[in-house]
Amino acid sequence: MLATVIQLIINGLLLGGIYALISIGLTLIFGVLEIINFAHGEFLMLGMYASYWLFQLFGVDPYLSLLMVIPTFFLVGLAVQRIIIQPIINAPPLNQIFATVGLSLVLQNVALFFWKADYRTVRTAYSTLCLKTGGLMISLPRLVAFVLAIAMISALLMFLKRTYTGKAIRALAQEKRAAMLMGINVYRMYQIAFGIGIACVGAAGAILIPIYYAFPTVGALFVLIAFVVVILGGYNSLVGALIGGLIIGLVEAFSGFFLSPHLKEAVYFVIFILILLFRPTGLFGRG
Amino acid sequence: MLSLENISAYYGDVQALRDISLRIKEGKIVTIIGSNGAGKSTTLNTISGVLRCASGKIEFLGGRIENLPPHQIVELGVVQIPEARLLFPYMTVLENLELGAYTPKARKGKEQNQEIVFGLFPVLEERKTQLAGTLSGGEQQMLAIARGLMARPKLLMLDEPSLGLAPLLVKQVFGTVKEINAQGITVLLVEQNVFHSLSIADEAYVLENGRVVLGGGGKEILENPRVKEAYLGI
Amino acid sequence: MKMSFISRKTAHGLFLPKIYFPLVLLLFLLVLPILPRNPFYEDLIIMIFFWGTLAASWNLVGGFAGQISLGHTAFFGIGAYTSTLLWLKFGLSPWLGMFAGAGLAVLVAVAIGYPCFRLKSHFFALATIAFAEVVRLVASYWRGLTQGGVGLLISFKPGIENFIFRGKIPYAYIALGLMLLIILVSYSIRNSRFGFYLISLREDQDAAESLGVKTSRCKLIALMISVLFTAIGGTFYAQYLLFIDPDSVFSLSFSIELPLLAIIGGLGTVIGPIVGAFILTPLDVLLRGWLGGISAGLNFIVYGTVLVVAVIYFPRGIVGWLSTWYEPFLRRLPGANLAVALEGTVSPAFSSDTSEPKDSDPGDEETKSPLFKAQSLTKHFGGLAAVKDVSFQIKKGEILGLIGPNGAGKTTIFNLITGFLSPDSGRIEFKGEEITGLKPPHKVCMKYIGRTFQLVKPFNNMTALENVMVGAFSRVKKAKEAREEATKMLDFIGLLGHRDSLASSLTLADRKRLELGKALSTRPELLLLDEVVAGLNPREIEEIIRIIKAISNQGITLFIIEHVMKAIMTLSHRIIVLHHGEKIAESSPTEISRDRRVIDAYLGEEYLA
Repeated sequence: MLATVIQLIINGLLLGGIYALISIGLTLIFGVLEIINFAHGEFLMLGMYASYWLFQLFGVDPYLSLLMVIPTFFLVGLAVQRIIIQPIINAPPLNQIFATVGLSLVLQNVALFFWKADYRTVRTAYSTLCLKTGGLMISLPRLVAFVLAIAMISALLMFLKRTYTGKAIRALAQEKRAAMLMGINVYRMYQIAFGIGIACVGAAGAILIPIYYAFPTVGALFVLIAFVVVILGGYNSLVGALIGGLIIGLVEAFSGFFLSPHLKEAVYFVIFILILLFRPTGLFGRG
Repeated sequence: MLSLENISAYYGDVQALRDISLRIKEGKIVTIIGSNGAGKSTTLNTISGVLRCASGKIEFLGGRIENLPPHQIVELGVVQIPEARLLFPYMTVLENLELGAYTPKARKGKEQNQEIVFGLFPVLEERKTQLAGTLSGGEQQMLAIARGLMARPKLLMLDEPSLGLAPLLVKQVFGTVKEINAQGITVLLVEQNVFHSLSIADEAYVLENGRVVLGGGGKEILENPRVKEAYLGI
Repeated sequence: MKMSFISRKTAHGLFLPKIYFPLVLLLFLLVLPILPRNPFYEDLIIMIFFWGTLAASWNLVGGFAGQISLGHTAFFGIGAYTSTLLWLKFGLSPWLGMFAGAGLAVLVAVAIGYPCFRLKSHFFALATIAFAEVVRLVASYWRGLTQGGVGLLISFKPGIENFIFRGKIPYAYIALGLMLLIILVSYSIRNSRFGFYLISLREDQDAAESLGVKTSRCKLIALMISVLFTAIGGTFYAQYLLFIDPDSVFSLSFSIELPLLAIIGGLGTVIGPIVGAFILTPLDVLLRGWLGGISAGLNFIVYGTVLVVAVIYFPRGIVGWLSTWYEPFLRRLPGANLAVALEGTVSPAFSSDTSEPKDSDPGDEETKSPLFKAQSLTKHFGGLAAVKDVSFQIKKGEILGLIGPNGAGKTTIFNLITGFLSPDSGRIEFKGEEITGLKPPHKVCMKYIGRTFQLVKPFNNMTALENVMVGAFSRVKKAKEAREEATKMLDFIGLLGHRDSLASSLTLADRKRLELGKALSTRPELLLLDEVVAGLNPREIEEIIRIIKAISNQGITLFIIEHVMKAIMTLSHRIIVLHHGEKIAESSPTEISRDRRVIDAYLGEEYLA
């Protein structure tokens, strides 16, 4: 029994790391631009396909593909911010919601158009490798995914904590007018924050491909989890997104084992509603 | 140093400034007074580029600035310390100061500048790792001024620095403003506290309803009955 | 909607373009299903009616009430599954199952809407997406009931009682009936008190509350009606296709398609969603026809692109754009000259009673108990005391002024009285009744306390008349009466000339008048005015002062915050001064202006008098 529990904790945390990486981009975008990116899941999907095709066409290892995916997605984020988000940055919520909802519809169906509804995954030499110690099983690609996710999150947090640009982004999220008066180019920071958010979720897609399938609507599956994580962690706290991601990973592992794997979404939703009702700022959010 | 000529500005379709003209000479303390809603803060925000002016021109050190975005105006050395301080509440005192020195020019002299600022406000050095949101009201105002100074302003604009402060602290703030000015920084001060601001000002303008209704030396204005009328309606 | 027009107007009203043109359109709709005699076009017509109905029902909650639901597919699916399961398992006629499904969907909607309506727009949308996703999962995995992904097949047994027909034409007429019904419902809501309430709360929830609108209840009712039609649409869909599965009736793209049609057509208008369906559904079908077989998803690429472009560049939709053409177009139709003759007979004679001075000398009232009493009010924000131990009374008929420097806590006091905030301690009494902490604000309004806001809160997309009508509805039920009251009020505040202008197009001075008119139309006995002259020029200030005096002459007690000293000094009988949240003085205007503490507070201590 104890071994099972430890195994579940490990499974949950490994999964949670990826959830955290997906969610942290969403949180960053919301914290700085005050817009919920409803197309976030679709960028995850694109990240998975990007890594998939790099492997299929050029034999690039999915982990190596990060080196291409991250900068590319950052640039894509800049462009999307410039073309779609910037015009509605001060618009009523309805316009903001449907701009990204519309984008999500487009991206999902672009994927369907080009790559059909097939499930695709990358089979590498290490895909099925497992570490076995003391009755515990740890899947190697999951472990690598976790380590990479945590590394990227740490790098992002360091960037925001240490660099001038990072501090400017945080300042903007806390007090926009003062940031402007300190000489921070608000428009450029919006772009950078959006770019980083998209780069994070694209990277999450790339490290997911060895352990999961890419298909056009895969984003919707994960973005629901990301929404729950963001609400749980507090929608303006990046550390909250990290811890929230790990918690949801654990919840999934345990509810999958003790209830049923199919009910895990129902469990998320209950958490989601309870948090919204009783602690709308989340566990780590600021009022 | 700074001149505004016939500036008009709108909030939405509300005309907040009507044909304002001001001149600020280098090295002076100039104050703008007037009751709430007279357009004092709007004037500062128009100079800072946060609010676009609808017509008129603004010149700083011989260059036109009315169409520049806020961050470029800060780079030129026109720095505003906003009303209600607007610190970054979840950042430390030190981080707030660093962000004050955000522009490339200010970044170069950051360490040295920080020394000067800590000399001016020793209490901030004691609290440098504390979050700005947890400081007392007086300390927050000091931090707001210090953050503004970190930008190495040529012209420092203060919006209601005495707001919400106890009388003793109010005196202290005005003392600081004089000290800053003595170091060669030109000051544009917007205040409701008429007595204090007029007594330290070289020149003053009185705003009423988005218009300049009076202008002159600080002491002169202090004695002008029109001021009391504008504030107290008698 | 068209029928009621006829019964009310005289026979020759029929010759007016604005009557006969919609009738021609109706006639066209009625014959449309039998025109094509071709299954492809018949199907297209059914789809137009079907999507029009659903988009219009989404519009009730998303357009009128401004609550953006992205989870309507859940209600659609619940409707489809309930009636189908009842038919398959118990042989219950889908006609009855339709209402069972609608009832269940409405119950679920209440359970979800009640907690979620307090969320801000983005998060409400999020919550509805998540909710719909969970319902889809339940339908997919509860195999015992729903057969999961396999779906449910309804065997083809034609018969009216089975809601199954051999040809397509009966379906077309059922769909048309539903569509005409939702148009009728939308139209009557739009022109009723309820509709005014929905739109006002969409435009500004706080302002709506202050005018007596029970915002939470209104949103919930709008959602219930919307869900009812959506679920009925689900049953129709099941009976038309005779097959449902989770992927087709529970899909996010369905949830997005409804608002898409409404936005393209014209959000928050009665016929916008219908127009959207008439334009986009054929486009969709054509796209599928051209490309569908070879390229799945292309139609959604076009849809999504249209949606993004529309919300960025054309947020008002086709109807918003057409509306500028509609009236001139009607005027060109034969019979237009009749309109002038007919409408000329309606006399616009409205008299105002501004000049009637009523006794208002507060001196007479001193023996009476005060109308309003506040005792030791205290309110903290964080550690900071915004209002500290403030007590005062207001006598009936009096004008009491409240002044103090920026941040002194004046507006906080207003918010404490009107239910926007609750005091930490202290007591508030009005007409001898304790109202401390009475919440939400609409309850305070119903006690006959009105207020305006420092930053005016007009309902921007409503006309001046409609703005005031929202307030008038707090006391009368019928739109006709509210319109009459509001017209008189517009005359009183001098806005009759702008009665049909959108509030967003008014000047600041006029919006300030409108703010007064809205609050006054709730017939308050005590009216709280928060800086009604701030930002105006001297001439405009004079005008507003004249109106405020006229209000006072009607016996309404006034409590005024003002920064423009001239205004408050001439208006007030008594003035209270706040500084740092504390009351530092209370006396007549002349004494106040000589009070040492007041001068210190305003001008800085040591100011040389």
